[in-house]
Amino acid sequence: MRCANSISARPLESRRRGAATRRAQLDRGDSLALQLVLVAIVVQAAIVVRARPQDLITGAYGMADIIRRATPPDFGKIDMVWWPALETIDLGIFGTLGGIIMALPLAILAAANVTPSRFLYYAARGVIGFARAVPDLVWALLFVTAVGLGPFPGALALSVHSIGMLGRLFAETIEHMDMAPIDALTLTGARRVQVFTHGVIPSILPSLLGIALYRLDENIRSSLVLGFVGAGGASASNCSRR
Amino acid sequence: MLRVRGLTMRYADGKMAVADFDLSIEPGEVVVVLGSNGSGKTTLLRCIARMPSPTAGEIWLNDTNLAALSGERLRQARLSLALIWQHASLVRRRSVLSNIASGALGRYGGLWTALGGLPAVERRAAYDYLHAVGLVALAGQRAGTLSGGQAQRVAIARALAQRPQVLLADEPVASLDPEAADDIMRLLRHLATHEHLAVLCVLHQIELAYAYADRVVGIRDGRIAFDRPCAELSRDAVRQLYLSEAA
Repeated sequence: MRCANSISARPLESRRRGAATRRAQLDRGDSLALQLVLVAIVVQAAIVVRARPQDLITGAYGMADIIRRATPPDFGKIDMVWWPALETIDLGIFGTLGGIIMALPLAILAAANVTPSRFLYYAARGVIGFARAVPDLVWALLFVTAVGLGPFPGALALSVHSIGMLGRLFAETIEHMDMAPIDALTLTGARRVQVFTHGVIPSILPSLLGIALYRLDENIRSSLVLGFVGAGGASASNCSRR
Repeated sequence: MLRVRGLTMRYADGKMAVADFDLSIEPGEVVVVLGSNGSGKTTLLRCIARMPSPTAGEIWLNDTNLAALSGERLRQARLSLALIWQHASLVRRRSVLSNIASGALGRYGGLWTALGGLPAVERRAAYDYLHAVGLVALAGQRAGTLSGGQAQRVAIARALAQRPQVLLADEPVASLDPEAADDIMRLLRHLATHEHLAVLCVLHQIELAYAYADRVVGIRDGRIAFDRPCAELSRDAVRQLYLSEAA
């Protein structure tokens, strides 16, 4: 019996070994092709952006000159800059808060584990994707057209653009949370909204705050350039002075 | 009080988890379900609570067939049926007291509870339930900091806050040391005897079943293997239940 087993096992073993070798060769071939594709992508990107690292060396003096002139800061002009600076920070705060208020309900609909319907899931994902795909400057242009020049259209632009990132990350946080306490609350007979406020929100609050703070940081930096399209911030006062 | 008739649960992949299961429990009774891993014990309990809904069968709670309900009527019917989970399933970042009081949420519909608030009367009542499970000193502590035994006691207190008629317990002592397991089972027995709750409890510990159950139901491959009063159940029958599963 042992003999019969060893005879029949030998071709099977050699077939397995052959398959493993072929798979290894295939893996090596795939890996080489992947590496070539990656190199091609990097090279074409360098060509398209006309990358010239040597210019960084020859231009080092210019950069050093800017830093030299910017330091130490000239506090004599503080009365001219404090208002635009405050406006820039407030644009970020308003934009983030507005984004959170709009993103949270969308995130609930866009989280596969708590969404009330498949249609609403895809609709919410679509809105979030669209808000993210359109740049904040384009949103700012749209809102300047709607409500006129000033910081308010900038704040609206940041709010709407924030939905994209906040909605996506909030939804992913909800999808990855532990569902056992949520199911337990549901089975106590709690209503859907109660399950959300008493179960979902307390469970994910630290993650939501972390994401919101990151977005605030991003929005304050974004608000710096919104002035170029007349939507407030430090760059707006800079442009108007020129 | 709770009568299950022909309960069947077949999953989408065709696997039969529970097949044609009959069961009844009266107030004040503790019924323990025994069976090896994968025999359908947890699915049975979850189907009774309609999470998920069974493929077929009836779940009568007094005069209401839970299996025929949906939406708001199912939610209201669930108020009479509390489920204690294997791993307590508390909201870890909330206090012990808030977790217990949240068991009563289903009875309130206003804006205050929808916004995350808890009725003052339920917060006060939560102290009584905490006292019943012997953990008053931990009222303000975060649920995430509790030991397994403490968390399970809080889960029982949350179930009491729901003021149910039936208590379903899915391996409530699975992760506890023998002493804590004994405490939890003694508490469930006490609730059945003194609060007249019907307790249906899934266990793996045969000794606990003998010590605290009125009746033992054996489950094998999703089907009922035996349903006998504890006094009439031979250890051999229980051993056979596990042996046949191992084979």
